[in-house]
Amino acid sequence: MHWMIYAGIAIVLWGVNGLFMKLGTNRVSARSMVIWVTAGFVVLLPWMWRLTGLAGLSTRVILVGLIAGAVNGLGNWAVFACLEKGAKASVAIPLTALYPLWTVALATAFLRERPTALQWIGIALAVAGGAMLSYEPEPAAAHKEQLSCVP
Amino acid sequence: MQTDNRRFPDWLWYALLCIFWWGLWGFLSKIGSVAASPLQMQILFTLGMLPVAVGMLLHMRGKLDRDRVGISYGLLSGIATGLGTLGYFAALRKQDASVVTPLTGVFPILTVALAFVVLRERLNKVQMGGMLLALASIVILST
Repeated sequence: MHWMIYAGIAIVLWGVNGLFMKLGTNRVSARSMVIWVTAGFVVLLPWMWRLTGLAGLSTRVILVGLIAGAVNGLGNWAVFACLEKGAKASVAIPLTALYPLWTVALATAFLRERPTALQWIGIALAVAGGAMLSYEPEPAAAHKEQLSCVP
Repeated sequence: MQTDNRRFPDWLWYALLCIFWWGLWGFLSKIGSVAASPLQMQILFTLGMLPVAVGMLLHMRGKLDRDRVGISYGLLSGIATGLGTLGYFAALRKQDASVVTPLTGVFPILTVALAFVVLRERLNKVQMGGMLLALASIVILST
């Protein structure tokens, strides 16, 4: 199969997932969502294990992978809590997708990687985009609240 | 559903916390992927997520929400993410990461479109501009 089809499958499933996340947190708590999402991952585990094992990996790499998984789980909880607290899916999903910004910062600090000129542009766009996505016009919200108080 | 009209609403704190954890995940993945294949990493991620799920369950004292529709969305979310990741890895086997990763990074467009149609969410003009800038940055930072 052509690689574009596989990439398309990833885009569709990840994109639809953003909707599932919001619909799920409308009905169950963020903590429950973490548990059920993890169960969803575990369903795929035997299949993945059949394709490859963990033989040949050093203890250090296994430990790093396990910690990364735990950290990913905490990130999942945070995005579910974000949606649970009332964030729109159309704001929360693009906003949290800016996480590579932090990855680049950590890689710069600890792996001594140096961002290229293009990456600096990406960082600036991420900061500006994140701030703009977070923008909710306060007066309109306050006005709506006032109206809802009218008997 | 709880909404917050303060200048820095609760949901934004959680979004930033998510960026912190997922950014750290990206960093650790970078270190691990030097020696492990993407599929091996995915197995380790799944195993690593288990203690967090168990911790959440203990924190809830075993009182898991039992809304069947909510549970279905949770399971679907995990399966969709996992299968999507496998699709991404399959694409990586045939094409360079510098091409595949920025391309798949545009997935939030679909979420925004679905949220517009299904959830009737509307972005204001500033947020719309922010989404475009965010997408451009995701594509750039993924290369």
